[in-house]
Amino acid sequence: MAGSNEVNINESKRVVPLNTWVLISNFKLAYNLLRRSDGTFNRDLAEYLDRKVPANTIPADGVLSFDHVDRATGLLNRVYLRTTEGQPAWGFEELEKPLSTTEAVPVIVFFHGGSFTHSSANSAIYDTLCRRLVKTCGAAVVSVNYRRSPEHRYPCAYEDGWTALKWVKSRTWLRSGTPNDSKVHVYLAGDSSGGNICHHVAVRAAEAGVEVLGNILLQPMFGGQERTESEKRLDGKYFVTVRDRDWYWRAYLPEGEDRDHPACNPFGPRGCSLEGLIRFPKSLVVVPGLDLVQDWQLAYVEGLRKSGHDVKLLYLKEATIGFYFLPNNDHFYILMEEIKCFVNPNLNCQKR
Amino acid sequence: MGPSSTSHAGTGKLIPPFPPQTQLDGLLAGAGYKVRSSDLHLVAQRLESLESAMVSSPSHVVSHLASDTVHYNPADLVSWVDSLLSELTHSHHHPSNPSSSSSSSSTSPPSRPLPVDLDDLFSVPSDAINWVQSEMPLSQQPPPPPPPPQQLTVVTTMEEDSGIRLVHALMTCAELVQRGDLHLAGALVDEMTALLTSINTECGIGKVAGYFIDALSRRIVGAGSVPAPPHETEILYHHFYETSPYLKFAHFTANQAILEAFEGYDCVHVIDFSLMHGLQWPALIQALALRPGGPPLLRLTGIGPPSPDGRDTLREIGLGLAEVARSVNVRFAFRGVAASRLEDVKPWMLQVNPNEALAVNSIMQLHKLLGPDPTPIESVLSWIRGLNPKIVTLVEQEVNHNQTGFLDRFTEALYYYSTVFDSLEAACQIQPDKALAEMYLQMEICNIVCYEGAARVERHEPLAKWRDRFNRAGFRPLHLGSNAFKQASMLLMLFSTEGYSVEENEGCLRLGWHSRPLIAASAWQASPGPLPLPLPMGADDYWNDD
Repeated sequence: MAGSNEVNINESKRVVPLNTWVLISNFKLAYNLLRRSDGTFNRDLAEYLDRKVPANTIPADGVLSFDHVDRATGLLNRVYLRTTEGQPAWGFEELEKPLSTTEAVPVIVFFHGGSFTHSSANSAIYDTLCRRLVKTCGAAVVSVNYRRSPEHRYPCAYEDGWTALKWVKSRTWLRSGTPNDSKVHVYLAGDSSGGNICHHVAVRAAEAGVEVLGNILLQPMFGGQERTESEKRLDGKYFVTVRDRDWYWRAYLPEGEDRDHPACNPFGPRGCSLEGLIRFPKSLVVVPGLDLVQDWQLAYVEGLRKSGHDVKLLYLKEATIGFYFLPNNDHFYILMEEIKCFVNPNLNCQKR
Repeated sequence: MGPSSTSHAGTGKLIPPFPPQTQLDGLLAGAGYKVRSSDLHLVAQRLESLESAMVSSPSHVVSHLASDTVHYNPADLVSWVDSLLSELTHSHHHPSNPSSSSSSSSTSPPSRPLPVDLDDLFSVPSDAINWVQSEMPLSQQPPPPPPPPQQLTVVTTMEEDSGIRLVHALMTCAELVQRGDLHLAGALVDEMTALLTSINTECGIGKVAGYFIDALSRRIVGAGSVPAPPHETEILYHHFYETSPYLKFAHFTANQAILEAFEGYDCVHVIDFSLMHGLQWPALIQALALRPGGPPLLRLTGIGPPSPDGRDTLREIGLGLAEVARSVNVRFAFRGVAASRLEDVKPWMLQVNPNEALAVNSIMQLHKLLGPDPTPIESVLSWIRGLNPKIVTLVEQEVNHNQTGFLDRFTEALYYYSTVFDSLEAACQIQPDKALAEMYLQMEICNIVCYEGAARVERHEPLAKWRDRFNRAGFRPLHLGSNAFKQASMLLMLFSTEGYSVEENEGCLRLGWHSRPLIAASAWQASPGPLPLPLPMGADDYWNDD
């Protein structure tokens, strides 16, 4: 099969800029080393190889960050706030005041990707992405350092997501809006496994009557027992293989479960309709055209529509996974615009 | 820039202008990787080769890449990919010997973990000892505790608000002090003291705020102008580092690097810039004893303050270490050098032999040399370089407490020590160890906040600044690898609390609490070529034969 591997490498190189190709190929090969065939994971080497950055309360390019750790659970959230020109170095007194007393400022609760196994809130690629979200959308961002598999399987990631959402909703300093109308304007966002987490946390929120204004699922990680057409067609072609997807689901789902488990396949044979769950938020689902998982992502969109929920599909035909890590392609800028409009409904955005 | 740039016409939004050849790719830098723009094609090609090699290698060879190979400086993609490639091609040529990583490329010296003889080294609670012996894999770790009941959450929220007001007051007070408005500052101290009564001072912001309020008040009043005597400091230092992993991390990491640097040498010499109780050295002695081919002759020169009461503390510690060496059949010689300040040490006192492999070890010491002009650091680094050491191991607090502006320094310290106190709380509940440990931290805080000039010795600076200094002084980095990282992680497991983390950063390791790095360990070797700086004053002393 060596011949077809070479064809595959050349193909992926043609559709992304060179530095993106280097970045994602590096991840691919490193991750191949870390996954063991017995289902265990080389966590030490993973943490060693992962490039991390500390939080920084000194504003850099208009964004500052700090980490908050819940004493009881050890759950870490990294908070990103925008600073304005001429504002003195951020003082702790700002933590008492709301984000704004005149307008709504979106707060994006962000779940990083990594197929439930890799990366952290303080991974460089995600720290950078969250900072970009703050700048583009004028939002506050809270990045959740949820527990990862295989050490912590379903439902840990969802539990941590729910805990983080409750924490965010209860911060007075994340509120915005006129004094009569002040509340935390929460959106959930995530890429890959983070997108999957958004869905499940949003369902729980809707069932509990906790308001979430919108879901942003970027290249979300869904799957099922069936092998879809896109999985067969794109297997191994653009950085990802069906085999590695299978490994991550085995590592996340309870032992012995298959991929039709509702965590993986929410609208599948064991899933349930969301019809009637009126508090479920509107969704923006971003599907890269070269992601082998796209048939599951599109099925998710269909499932939301059938349940009567508001969903916008952003299908980026020539995008590969991870296109949003580096701002060196059109898809990145289109994505940022879409997210900006999605979380700022008062903006006069052009309808595409 | 070649074919790849035309291929994404339609997706292209190339970032003009093209950076010069030696520049790093800015976008990859933002992702934590250092790759020169001119090297992108090379790395890509190597990645392709690596993938082909991995695909065509037997699976045991590939898994050996993960489990046995030592990785270095993964931010430098070119060298990381190259080292993996050479591992794979080497294994291909010796398919019957998959564990031959120890004799591979020159950039990856063999790993030999240090023996962990807990009884000799530390006092650790017994359940932690069991943990190490059973090598409990991460997947079997007990699940984290359930979230707190509702009422506790409410209390925490309240505390947060008062805590925030207190921090605000502290900043304002520090600003007043910087402006010289001591009268107002003093009044604020009274207010803050009152505020303290309404919050929990057992933990969190209340705990550390108390020490900062105290330090501010001393500064305002002008008290605290005499530094504590060195021996009291030593005792508190001992307790502080016994109750937290910081010093153990420093020792483990430095020893591992020293062990590797001493490979193949029969006469080795370690200079310890602050011997204290010599806690670092039994482990190194034992590791040298276990070296294949037998241990070298080990000389240890320990620097420390003169003993006040006619005792020779340095010699006593040395005798203890000699006993350890004797018990494992390592030929050992100790020498104590008494000096109240590091800058008083002259190289001739250390009696370095040109035939021996020399290691210079500095744990939390060099920052004391960053005092007011003329700062002694450059001349000290220069004579260290002049000794031509095989390795210099450096561990320092990862924070900038040496800023000239008082408010900046104060703010950094507040944030830094909040984190350190948090970590202590989680790691150690044993009294009186914890109280004594906190007293040590209080001393550091006081020194940073109350003192100026020569008396202010806790002039911590972050790794980035030390890198500059060492590069200028004629050193280049010796990278700490994934084996040191792994051992540091294992060490952290002894502290049965989640929250500590180790991070790799350009070949150095940083230990932190919940993603905030607190101390950084690095290793250095002499750059080849002539000494870059003119010799310091008193050079005659250095060149004299002893």
